[in-house]
Amino acid sequence: MSFLKTLIRHPQGAVGLFLTALVLTMAAIGPSIAPLDPETMHFANRFEPPSAEFLLGTDWFGRDLLSRMMVGAQSTVLLALLATIIATTIGALIGIISGYLGGWLDEGIMRIVDAIMAIPGLLFALLIISALGTSALNAVIAIGIAFAPGMARISRSVTLQIRALDYVSAARSRGENSLWIVLAEILPNVAAPIIVEATIRVAFAIMTLATLSFLGLGAQPPSPEWGLMISQGREHMFRSPWPIIVPGGAIALVAIGFNLLGDGLRDVLNPKSEH
Amino acid sequence: MSASFLIKRLFLMVLTAFVVSIIVFGVTQLLPADAAVMILGENATPEAMAALSSRLGLDRPAPIQYFDWLVGVLHGDFGISLRTGQAVGPTIFEALGRSALLAALSLFTVSIVAIPLGVWAAARRGKAADLGVSVLSYMGISLPEFVLATLLLAWLAGPSVGLFPASGYTSPLENPLDALHHLALPVITLSIVLLAHISRMVRSEMVDTLDSDFIRAARLRGLPRRQVLFRHALRNSMLPAITVIALDIGYLIGGVIVVEEIFSFPGVGRQLILAIQNRDLPMLQAGVLIMSMTYALANLAADLAYAALDKRIQFS
Amino acid sequence: MMKLTRRAALTLSAAALSVSLTLPAMAQTAEPVAGGTLRVSVNITPQVLNPMLVRTNPEYMIAEMLYSGLTTLGHDMTAQPDLATQWHANADASEWTFQLRDDAMFSDGTTVTAADVVASFEKLLDPETAAPGRRNLGPIASVAVGADNSVIFTTDGPFADLPVALTYPTAKVLPESVIDAGFESLAQTPVGSGPFRLAEFNADQSVILEARDDYFVEGLPYLETVEVLTFPDAAGSNTALLAGEVDMMLDVQPTDFERISAADGIDGLRTPSGRFLDVVMDTQVAPWSDPRVREALSLSVDRAAMVELVAEGYGTPGNDSPVNSAYAYYADSPVKTYDPVKAKALLAEAGYADGLSLELVASEKPGYRSAMAVVLREMAKPAGFDISVKTMDHPSYLEQVWKKGPFYVGFYNMQPTEGTIFNLLFTSDASWNETKWNNAAFDALVDEADKTVDPAKRAELYADAQKLMREDVPALVPVFFDLLGAKAAYVENYQQHPRGANYALHRVSLSADAPTR
Repeated sequence: MSFLKTLIRHPQGAVGLFLTALVLTMAAIGPSIAPLDPETMHFANRFEPPSAEFLLGTDWFGRDLLSRMMVGAQSTVLLALLATIIATTIGALIGIISGYLGGWLDEGIMRIVDAIMAIPGLLFALLIISALGTSALNAVIAIGIAFAPGMARISRSVTLQIRALDYVSAARSRGENSLWIVLAEILPNVAAPIIVEATIRVAFAIMTLATLSFLGLGAQPPSPEWGLMISQGREHMFRSPWPIIVPGGAIALVAIGFNLLGDGLRDVLNPKSEH
Repeated sequence: MSASFLIKRLFLMVLTAFVVSIIVFGVTQLLPADAAVMILGENATPEAMAALSSRLGLDRPAPIQYFDWLVGVLHGDFGISLRTGQAVGPTIFEALGRSALLAALSLFTVSIVAIPLGVWAAARRGKAADLGVSVLSYMGISLPEFVLATLLLAWLAGPSVGLFPASGYTSPLENPLDALHHLALPVITLSIVLLAHISRMVRSEMVDTLDSDFIRAARLRGLPRRQVLFRHALRNSMLPAITVIALDIGYLIGGVIVVEEIFSFPGVGRQLILAIQNRDLPMLQAGVLIMSMTYALANLAADLAYAALDKRIQFS
Repeated sequence: MMKLTRRAALTLSAAALSVSLTLPAMAQTAEPVAGGTLRVSVNITPQVLNPMLVRTNPEYMIAEMLYSGLTTLGHDMTAQPDLATQWHANADASEWTFQLRDDAMFSDGTTVTAADVVASFEKLLDPETAAPGRRNLGPIASVAVGADNSVIFTTDGPFADLPVALTYPTAKVLPESVIDAGFESLAQTPVGSGPFRLAEFNADQSVILEARDDYFVEGLPYLETVEVLTFPDAAGSNTALLAGEVDMMLDVQPTDFERISAADGIDGLRTPSGRFLDVVMDTQVAPWSDPRVREALSLSVDRAAMVELVAEGYGTPGNDSPVNSAYAYYADSPVKTYDPVKAKALLAEAGYADGLSLELVASEKPGYRSAMAVVLREMAKPAGFDISVKTMDHPSYLEQVWKKGPFYVGFYNMQPTEGTIFNLLFTSDASWNETKWNNAAFDALVDEADKTVDPAKRAELYADAQKLMREDVPALVPVFFDLLGAKAAYVENYQQHPRGANYALHRVSLSADAPTR
């Protein structure tokens, strides 16, 4: 609780917390409170600006943008969270094990991690999606795999620092169970930097998902995923800017929210920045 | 810095290249539809498919295809593009040259803007200037680059402003001014995206350095503020900043994909998109390999620069 | 002008008429200005230079500039002279003689001979060549050198449309020597008898072509240079035209057409075409094996609204036959009405009173495939169709769904004749028999029409064939797309070809007020 209090007192952390809470709430209850069906086409009301009937206007098929944005929050945010969770789990597992065990195994794993990191993330995601087929879920898996090596690097370096600490060395020399050491001594200490990094990664994941949708490799129509909404809205942007402004604004808020929260968490969790 | 360090790093790069090539080859074996399907498209008949597959050598077992490719590369031959029928090597190196120019100009532009911005923000920590830079940088990371590129395109290349051409490429060897003119929009887009990242990094490093004991000591000794800021703090902050910039080269190499697509810039990113879409395995292999090597080289260069800037760091 | 046989005279007088009609009025008052550079933007990068292997519209355009065929397709879908000056058939149209012109030169300086033509068609018909369109040339049995610089085609049975079938974009004439030794070299070094020669091929950037001064039509081409530039993204391509960086756009997206056409100094180009989107149903498997279900879906489409939403109004509603007014033998019929109530009743009758859940697959390219799928999903809901849309990348679509899937969105260019489109998609032995409709009555009508020379009789047969498709609905054809393009006002004598695969850039000129570069 004291941690939350510190976070709320931190200006960036507070704003970030507020924005992410807002977005997560939207993802949770958006679909049930959306004013209109997100897929119903109002043929007579294409490209409407915001009005009493359509609060944020309509798109090229005459679909209500507010409702689409609210329903889309679910897929957009959950997909990004899922991608980050995949990346974090795989990365942390590999990084901690590799760092803890050390030796030739560590060396080998890190060479593979280096090789994957040397392939630009977006390109690697493109390759994986081409192999798995185009779908939102495959995009999530691809981003998860593409982001994992970065998380592995961070977890490993933190693990190495902690492993060298006296109390861990002591536990090792006492012959304590490796699994126990990892779970009890290393994991709690590695958690903080990993959470900070993961929070910022969510924003990256949303951007990458949107970019994949732009390249036609992410979510597919008629999904109201925000990146797809923007990329399709781009084709109509000279007839009406609203189909881009609405999901674009939403993405911007989420990205800023998770970035601020990540920065806040870093300052709060990282003793170096404490006054 | 010892020669053995360099040799070890170079050896690791070769190893990385080998692992990358196996990963890429493995992934492409999973791709649905091969080059023959893509070449024939909606005109494929079974006999045409069989004929073309055998002409392209796609009907051989995967390990043999890989081995042949590897032998070719070791002899400096990247093979023939399945898509265009042209030699892969010259095509990809030419494209890489153009992308490298784009990346270098973007890095240069962003460095001369982002580093002073970061320093300024750190020096005025908590004041309006700091907030302004923060807001700016958060805005930079909140727009997907394809949106930013589209907006810049419609605005700066549109008929009403018409400052820059919408697309294309001129070789700087033929006409340097025209080349810069064509590079302007992609460079501006990439710089804005990177600006946020680099200025934030510089700011946070500067903040840490300014809080450090030796800067406090320098201040206590009564050294002028400007001198402390630039001679002592900036120099120390530049070390991590350089690493970050080198890592951004990795981003740049990937980020050019979208920017090259929108501005029809004939760089390595577009080659790779076309290669994936057309299942052009030789081009894809060469492209990914060259991108990852560029990334590895950039990291090595960053480490060398780091060492040059900070004589205290010893490499073993 | 030329000595003609009677039948060829008939063809040719029609041809001459159509040529004079197709030239814009301006051209008749003033002789086009020769010279200048035309910069054309395309949205798919030209990759293949070998004319027998080209597959996309930009590649067709370049092949047409570098090479010649025997015949070329007029705007009225009749065969026009190219390397062949005249042609005639025997009494039952199973043996055709094409008289070649003797002044056509390949770009390597050799003369185009009958032996070159024979070698070219043999190469095209060889399955090993894997030439797209090999099956579109008609039932050619043999090609032989005839007397006096002529070529004789023999077909398996009568085939009235041969001269039109030979206009297929890949049916280009190459030197025999190159075919024998160096066919692969055509990927880099074209050797053709077209109006232009290749100056530069910068993969994925630009293709630069220069006028030949020894082209066989005196005075053509007008342009000195043509630059073909690739713009993968529509936003960049539009901006380039508006900013004057290119002079002509081959394709404009329906969503951009209004804005582009309204710009100063830009002419929007719009031509009705037989290019269509269809919804393919496998008529051999349930539920599509029941004609009532197909009719129900056919009644669940508001065709006028579909044209508005999917083609932005730049198209015409279809009536479930691939033939529309752009074809010579189109049989007019009132547009089918949107009647979800009747559709629901039909579904109930077929045993689907509780509705029907289906997955409709659409490739991501071009974008309106999925747009139509999404709109159809909404339109068909009231009738009880619960359609989920699955969008797929194009390679996976080609390999996994096309010609195999039970329910997907197809997209086809206009073909030169009714026979070509029917034999391509809807007869039992169609090259791509994706609906597996296998309707004997329909097959007989198409086969009869293929062999019939008398236009009135053919019109009747084709009208019956269209009616059969309208009633039995092997595929849903709700939308035909107009071809949309744009050019700067100073570009003259360019006219879009409804088939969408012919360009005639050698007839294009720039007016005196074109900017000089």
